[in-house]
Amino acid sequence: LKGPGRALVPIAIAGVAAGCVPLLLGLAGERADGWPLLAVLGPLVTWAFVGTGLFAWLRRPASRVGQMMVAVGFIWSVSTLTLSEDGRLFMVGFLATPLTYVALFHTLLAFPDGRLHSRLERVLVATAYVSATVVHLGVALFFDPLGGPGGLPENPLLVGDPELGETLGRARAALGTLLVAAMVVILLRRRSAAKGSQRRALLPVLATGALVAALLALWLVARVGGLTEAQRGLEDARLVVLALVPFAYLAGLLHSRVAGAAAVSELVARLGEPRHRRGGLQTVLAEALGDPSLAIAYWLPARSGYVDVDGNEVELPLERPGRVCVPVESGGARIAAILYDAELDLDAELVRAVGAAASLTLENERLDAELRAKVDQLRASRARIVESSDAARRRIERDLHDGAQQRLVSLALSLKMLESKLGGNTEAVAELAASRRELEHALAELRELGRGIHPPVLSDRGLGAVLESLAHRAPLPVELDAAPGERLPERVESTAYFVAAEALTNVARYSRASHARIGLRREDGHVVLEITDDGVGGADPAAGSGLRGLLDRVAAVDGSLEVDSPAGGGTVVRATIPCA
Amino acid sequence: MVSVLIVDDHSGFRTQARRVLESEGYRVVSEAGDGEAAIAAARALRPELALVDVFLAEGEATGFELAARLAALPEPPAVILISSHDGAEFDTLARESRARGFVPKAQLSRAAIEELRP
Repeated sequence: LKGPGRALVPIAIAGVAAGCVPLLLGLAGERADGWPLLAVLGPLVTWAFVGTGLFAWLRRPASRVGQMMVAVGFIWSVSTLTLSEDGRLFMVGFLATPLTYVALFHTLLAFPDGRLHSRLERVLVATAYVSATVVHLGVALFFDPLGGPGGLPENPLLVGDPELGETLGRARAALGTLLVAAMVVILLRRRSAAKGSQRRALLPVLATGALVAALLALWLVARVGGLTEAQRGLEDARLVVLALVPFAYLAGLLHSRVAGAAAVSELVARLGEPRHRRGGLQTVLAEALGDPSLAIAYWLPARSGYVDVDGNEVELPLERPGRVCVPVESGGARIAAILYDAELDLDAELVRAVGAAASLTLENERLDAELRAKVDQLRASRARIVESSDAARRRIERDLHDGAQQRLVSLALSLKMLESKLGGNTEAVAELAASRRELEHALAELRELGRGIHPPVLSDRGLGAVLESLAHRAPLPVELDAAPGERLPERVESTAYFVAAEALTNVARYSRASHARIGLRREDGHVVLEITDDGVGGADPAAGSGLRGLLDRVAAVDGSLEVDSPAGGGTVVRATIPCA
Repeated sequence: MVSVLIVDDHSGFRTQARRVLESEGYRVVSEAGDGEAAIAAARALRPELALVDVFLAEGEATGFELAARLAALPEPPAVILISSHDGAEFDTLARESRARGFVPKAQLSRAAIEELRP
């Protein structure tokens, strides 16, 4: 036995010992009537409840039903102390007897997850506990065993009038009848509300449970009516059915395991089917296990975290109230976790088997999810790289403008001053004029360089203004058709500008066009930029590095670039850039 | 003598420009490094001419906007935009602004200014 199993060993030993109580009392008993049935079936009931309870406890740690059944077994064994000839022990057993049934019905109502499902159920169970403890204790104070059927020991708690005790006892029995009848109704309704395989698993335990309840109800009616003989017969019948309850529960468990095995083999068969949709496995598992809310979380070792089928992070902890998490491993390595509704009371072993059967497919889907998460990361980092390179270009342009360019301008003005002071020295004037021309060239080249790095009009005045300046400076007539625009996000503006600039450069260099047009419009959350010319066409994005670079640049902001350039039919370059 | 206000964020250029303008017969009444100083000087000194840099320091309003504010003053100066960039880049913008015209900084001269002045 491993971990949790080992902790239950002492409980198992205590259960075996508790089961021996009625047997030993029966053997030691000298009473003529002997209570043989209780002495024989008593141990069986204890062992069956404790054993089945421990099994369920191990199998379905998420459900409290196992613990509750173990408790019923122990309370039952205490109630068998009524076999004792010692008055005090007898009364302990007497006090525990109704508690056994309340605990049993509580367990049945809380089936299968260990929780009561409605306010009515909680009120009913609470009333039953009060009736079985406080009210029953009251009854015990007036109960005179010597006045009843023979062979019972004296009641050390007896304080008063047995007549009053009898009346009290009947009243309690009447209340008990009502409570038990209500429980029977609830159990029967529960049975018809259960779905499919769950219903088949619940049926045996609910049926035997309801039968115990019905027999108890009849016994209570007989008690109220004072039908002592009928009471005896009903007690025996109830004892036999009670002993069957744990086995009925086992049968249900077994059935769900068989059904589970069928689910696993069906799943394995379905795993072979081609799945075209992303996360198809999640649907298949949800159907196989009958939980539409079932989800798979894929383990990403690089992130030390889980992602869903779309690559989105799954919040930890995976296990939450109302949700069970079963890890799936492959070759000793964690690959995923299956999350399902705790209400369903699925066998953890079954879910593990399903996970193992699907582990190859799970591993594939995990790799898919990992890939998607990586792609998202790459996309974000690419966008960041483009943004930071834009920022760097803007800074360099600004530095050029503020530094070298300003100094050269000052130098030009200074040379101009010098010129006016030279007077008639024609040779020097000519030399100076040559220097000034040279300086003009240097300034022009520097301006061109700055504009190529990042046009100042773009950062200061925005896309519309910079496109206008592009159109104006182009060596051919360029018509600008742009809606007068508000400022757009920086990365959108700079991407659109670089596309337009590169496309116009290509028009001027290769197209032999007589006319070009820049169109800029907003369309369903996108900015669409179109550069059209009437040139020779035949531009191929795969051939030149210019268009290739544009493709990358546009893709970095999740946009797309189309080049339509039939030979002889002009060229259209169209960039579509997301811009919410 | 025509009174002039020079608006530029580079003090080195302002000094050089003042020398050129004064040698060519203008009276430079003030220099301003940013838009606010320019408006204050224009209000106080009422210059006839303001030379305004197109791209003032980062975060500042552009010369186009400053030209509009100066033109809105009572007794406004004639505004001429100047820049170390070349005029073709913002030809349309300059034409649409309230400025009289544009002179590249390196070509600052009486001839270029008088061509644009009323």
